[in-house]
Amino acid sequence: MRRSASRKTGQPNSTPSLNSSPADLFRSASSKATTKELERIDALYYSYANGSSAMIDPEGIEALCSDMEVDHTDVRILMLAWKMKAEKQGYFSLEEWRRGLKALRADTVNKLKKALPELEKEVKRPTNFVDFYSYAFRYCLTEEKQKSIDIESICELLDLVLGSQFREQVDFFVEYLKTQNDYKVINNDQWMGFYRFCNEISFPDFSNYDPELAWPLILDNFVEWMLAKQS
Amino acid sequence: MVLHKFGDRLYSGLVTTMTSHLKEISKSIEDAKGGLFLEELHRKWDDHNKALQMIRDILMYMDRTYIPSTQKTPVHELGMNLWRDNIIHSGKIQTRLLNTLLELVLKERTGEVINRGLMRNIIKMLMDLGSSVYQGDFERPFLEVSAEFYRGESQKFIECCDCGDYLKKAERRLNEEMERVTHYLDAQSETKITNVVEKEMIANHMVRLIQMENSGLVNMLLDDKYEDLGRMYVLFRRVQDGLLKIREVMTSHIRETGKQLVTDPERLKDPVEFVQRLLDEKDKYDNIITLSFNNDKTFQNALNSSFEYFINLNARSPEFISLFVDEKLRKGLKGVSEEDVEIILDKVMMLFRYLQEKDVFEKYYKQHLAKRLLSGKTVSDDAERSLIVKLKTECGYQFTSKLEGMFTDMKTSQDTMHGFYASHPELGDGPTLTVQVLTTGSWPTQPSATCNLPAEMSVLCEKFRAYYLGTHTGRRLSWQTNMGTADIKATFGKGQKHELNVSTYQMCVLMLFNNADRLNYKEIEQATEIPASDLKRCLQSMACVKGKNVLRKEPMSKDIGEDDAFFVNDKFTSKFYKVKIGTVVAQKESEPEKQETRQRVEEDRKPQIEAAIVRIMKSRRQLDHNNIIAEVTKQLQSRFLANPTEIKKRIESLIERDFLERDNSDRKLYRYLA
Repeated sequence: MRRSASRKTGQPNSTPSLNSSPADLFRSASSKATTKELERIDALYYSYANGSSAMIDPEGIEALCSDMEVDHTDVRILMLAWKMKAEKQGYFSLEEWRRGLKALRADTVNKLKKALPELEKEVKRPTNFVDFYSYAFRYCLTEEKQKSIDIESICELLDLVLGSQFREQVDFFVEYLKTQNDYKVINNDQWMGFYRFCNEISFPDFSNYDPELAWPLILDNFVEWMLAKQS
Repeated sequence: MVLHKFGDRLYSGLVTTMTSHLKEISKSIEDAKGGLFLEELHRKWDDHNKALQMIRDILMYMDRTYIPSTQKTPVHELGMNLWRDNIIHSGKIQTRLLNTLLELVLKERTGEVINRGLMRNIIKMLMDLGSSVYQGDFERPFLEVSAEFYRGESQKFIECCDCGDYLKKAERRLNEEMERVTHYLDAQSETKITNVVEKEMIANHMVRLIQMENSGLVNMLLDDKYEDLGRMYVLFRRVQDGLLKIREVMTSHIRETGKQLVTDPERLKDPVEFVQRLLDEKDKYDNIITLSFNNDKTFQNALNSSFEYFINLNARSPEFISLFVDEKLRKGLKGVSEEDVEIILDKVMMLFRYLQEKDVFEKYYKQHLAKRLLSGKTVSDDAERSLIVKLKTECGYQFTSKLEGMFTDMKTSQDTMHGFYASHPELGDGPTLTVQVLTTGSWPTQPSATCNLPAEMSVLCEKFRAYYLGTHTGRRLSWQTNMGTADIKATFGKGQKHELNVSTYQMCVLMLFNNADRLNYKEIEQATEIPASDLKRCLQSMACVKGKNVLRKEPMSKDIGEDDAFFVNDKFTSKFYKVKIGTVVAQKESEPEKQETRQRVEEDRKPQIEAAIVRIMKSRRQLDHNNIIAEVTKQLQSRFLANPTEIKKRIESLIERDFLERDNSDRKLYRYLA
């Protein structure tokens, strides 16, 4: 840019100037469209938000779900939270709402509903799925400084997140978790380990599983339990 | 003639003449009958040599001038070659010579005496004719025939001899052959013939000999047959893998007998016996290795690894070794010279080194040492300290610092007592109190239980507490009534006086009878507040044990019931004035006690494993799973064998507490989080 030009204008200009590039034009055109979208997005937000906290709370989410005709325990809601990078389970902030809906190009409930299948596909892409899987665990840590999740909740989460992809592994692992006594909670390391386990280990023979490697101990015990059951 | 250029004619003339002459000689040799054959040959050879000498002298000029220039064979050599070709290699002589020689050797081998001088000369002749003549015309067939001979002989012997005898025979044959070479064969044959004997007599039958029933290696080991073993060692060393085989069989035998020893329930009843048996076994094999196996290091190593193997098969070995030491230090070493004490302690250390779970030993040793120190029952302070020094040398300062602390406490307590009585001269007439002040960290942890001391004692104890806390601020004292002893003077019904050595608990109970003739269990329990199980054991030891029954119980059953009544046993007698009733001696642990100790050991290991992991990760920053396991195991080896699963558990715990993290892409890799 020429020095004189910047000195002349001084302040940042929101309106496109005559000598801007085509890319700039496009960008500003889309940002114009976004402002309208943004308004609708915000409006939608406030229609579900709690008056006093100005956040969408569990009640609001439930309302949203019923409007979208999706059960509030459906995994797609979790995926939505992921897309929003929502921090607190059961709550959406304005920023998170904006982030999610903007990315999904949805500014009405209908559009949002229609965006869900696409979102599902996106999440299921291997590169995204690990991130989503990891997010799912963090999302359930409700207390501050909480590092682990109780067995009951983990079982539900596993079913929700991995059930479609690894039905058998999840079913058996859940059974194991419910019957064993060594572990009362699951930590992140074990959680991530299980996903790796499902991907890498041949099931149900576990022929390529080696307990001497760095698998979390709970999985060593799980495999032992499975093999004992099978014999 | 040479000068006149007739060298050719001279030379060829020489050849022709000599050749025809030799042919005649050959005939005469052939004609020689039987035994005279060799003699004739030898005589003619002698003659030939002499003649050759002369001829050479005469034809010296030719030798020096004509021959080099024409590159013809020099005279002497020519003479040799012609002899070889016409005599030795002549059809009739060649075979006969060989057969004669071999026959003689066979005769000698079967015990006859032969003319060695003549043999030597003939052999020398062959050597003079050239090494290849010796080898081709004699040595090679000789070796073949010998091999056959020894093959047959060894087969015969092995069927009828036992191992020891066979080895003697083999040794004899070996020596014979070596002697034979010295006497009449060429030196180059020594290794070759001994190899033949070694192969045929030893190598081919090695396994059969070792495994021979009733006389093989194992029997020799069991019966300490030093000479036979030594012979076997020397002979088998000569053949490939000979010593290896001996070592293998010895190792598996030691491991097997050792395993039986440590798993035999009969043997395990008496820990001291058990350990003594181990030491005896070690001594036995040390002797064998020294006397028969030439102190061979590889055998020493095999012995060590075998011991290490089976000693650790029994999880109670550390406890038993500690009990053995305890017995020795309490009374076993009484009257033993200083040198012998050192020898025994060194042997104990040797067993200690074999232990994989040295931390278990440490725990028991501490318990037993505490009992010894507190009951004053150690035979020699020097011996105790000597062992501590040895343990320190072996395991480092960490291992023994607490043990040394215990000794220090004992010494300090002595000084404290002097100070106490010095500052309280008025107490001189009353009961004598001896207090050992134990620093909590150094001594094995004991929960302190309730116990009401008799008035006289509690007053005294309070005075001591005040005195001590007066000179040591910031400390807390708690009386360990379950560890004390008392000497009390008692007068029984018929006036018999005795001095009783009892435990503190027992003292509390007995003192009650100064104020009452009859007490039932409940009353005793209330008055003393001693925990029920301890109280019952205490009462049992005073009312139900023959020779120690200073109390009488109604009913006379072995068990203590809640309603039992107790009286002083006025009829108590003992031929000793001093009667010992207390039970503070170290004993083999009961099953529940053992479980408890084992649990404590496992608990103690957890922080040690974690510390090792953190240490390693701190210096390496990141490391993969298998390497961590290997490094941690190595670091902890001197104390105990770390379990890989346990290490994994600790790693996961450290991850949870954010000391370590797993690498995101390579889940086998761990990283240290500063």
